Amino acid sequence: MSAEISATDYLVTVRDLTVVKQGQTILDAVSLDIAKHDFITLIGPNGAGKTVLLRHLLKLESPHGGRVHHQSGLKIGYVPQRVTIDPSLPMTVQRFLTVNNDVTGSQLDSLATETKISHLLNSPLADLSGGELQRVLLTRALAGKPNLLILDEPAQNLDVNGQLQFYTMIDEIYESRKLSVLMVSHDLHLVMSSTRKVVCLFRHICCSGAPESVARDPEFISIFGDDMAKLMAVYPHSHAHDHDHDHDHHHHAATDEES
Amino acid sequence: MSAHILLTTLALALVAGPLGCFVVWRRMAYFGDGLAHSALLGVAIGLVIGVSNQIGMMAIAIIFALSLIWLRAKRVLATDTLLGILAHAALSLGVVAMTLLGAGDIEVHDYLLGSLDAVTQDMAVWVIAGSGLSLGLLMRLWPGLILMTTSEDLAHAEGVHIVRYEFALMVLMGVVVAASIQLVGILLITSLLIIPASTARLFARSPEAMAIGGSAIASLCMLIGLPLAQNFQLATGPVIVCVSVASFMLVLMARLATRKG
Repeated sequence: MSAEISATDYLVTVRDLTVVKQGQTILDAVSLDIAKHDFITLIGPNGAGKTVLLRHLLKLESPHGGRVHHQSGLKIGYVPQRVTIDPSLPMTVQRFLTVNNDVTGSQLDSLATETKISHLLNSPLADLSGGELQRVLLTRALAGKPNLLILDEPAQNLDVNGQLQFYTMIDEIYESRKLSVLMVSHDLHLVMSSTRKVVCLFRHICCSGAPESVARDPEFISIFGDDMAKLMAVYPHSHAHDHDHDHDHHHHAATDEES
Repeated sequence: MSAHILLTTLALALVAGPLGCFVVWRRMAYFGDGLAHSALLGVAIGLVIGVSNQIGMMAIAIIFALSLIWLRAKRVLATDTLLGILAHAALSLGVVAMTLLGAGDIEVHDYLLGSLDAVTQDMAVWVIAGSGLSLGLLMRLWPGLILMTTSEDLAHAEGVHIVRYEFALMVLMGVVVAASIQLVGILLITSLLIIPASTARLFARSPEAMAIGGSAIASLCMLIGLPLAQNFQLATGPVIVCVSVASFMLVLMARLATRKG
């Protein structure tokens, strides 16, 4: 299967994407390619245009300048930032996963096994914990057999343990399904400790590449501060050492991003 | 009770179930109230240009929905503020216009609280056709509407045209509100949508069960309420709402009792 598409065929090609809203430039000539089996993490401060970029990648909006091209046959699975279920809506997990699509019972069973939600299928959606709900959303995104998974801060509302579990699951699915992943993440300490490609966005693409090289980029340092760059410097060292930093920095980063 | 009244009320009750669910889920109660308030202006306009009440009310309802969408897009005032302005402007204009046109207090009263006398055979045809079409459209849009109610982001990303769906829902509300106003009255129309759906929520495990349960409960309330109103010479709206509230309380008690047991 994988031999049919060469590595140069991009699933998504973004060229000089420019978005202006009320006289303000939200995105300025952004170019980005997503290749087969890419795993790209998009980082950037609040207001950097991450969500706007995702909306254009999904072709939900038409750009003011530049273009977004989807390879023919591209199927995108989308996991939104958060879903708040109104308790007045009676909806089981199973019903949610089969509404407005054509997923069959047996497909649902194997999907549920993959994302470890089999025991939740008959639970009301409103009763799920944050982590369970994210897994259910992931399941729905996988139901359309996507070759690209787009996740918008999927672990934002999870505790540290939940975040780790969720990211591990994304990793497993990325490997087993051989799909491409584009993920927006605020969890810098996790993102920067991986070896995957990082793209740093602040209206334009500031820098991209492996975490180590991104962390040394002057623009990255000016956006995220010296702290983060220093934190990055300690990652290759001992476990006990960076655990402390990891913890401190998480809270720091979280409050920064909320404000 | 004559056949055309029975059919009219049952048609309304059937569409009130699923539509009422969306009013509850999407918090459109104040929007429904606003639409209802604007209806009197529709009646007045109907009188002036010589079209039927229902056409006047539906036209005003659609204008109302469009104005709301347009004003909301400006993002200056909150939706409930806008609704308050639009609804009360339309109601006041309606009352002033009706009085200037020579409508008596009793006629205005009938519009506010509903009356069986208003249900003529001509009107029955309109109401049944309107309810039937609305129900059909609602069933056709159902999966997309349910997904959109769960998460607009997700629905949008999966190709549901959010703006069109929301507008369709508003127009449907307008049609059903216009169709049922003479029977239930401007002041109480929203409760006809909300109470049966809320009652069904107490036992429903799926959106569909809540919608069908809502229709069944609304039908039952109509069938009990209308003869009561007729026999005791009461306004129909308040009687139907009293019966609906009683059914809500009963189901709530039953729910609480079984949960304890």
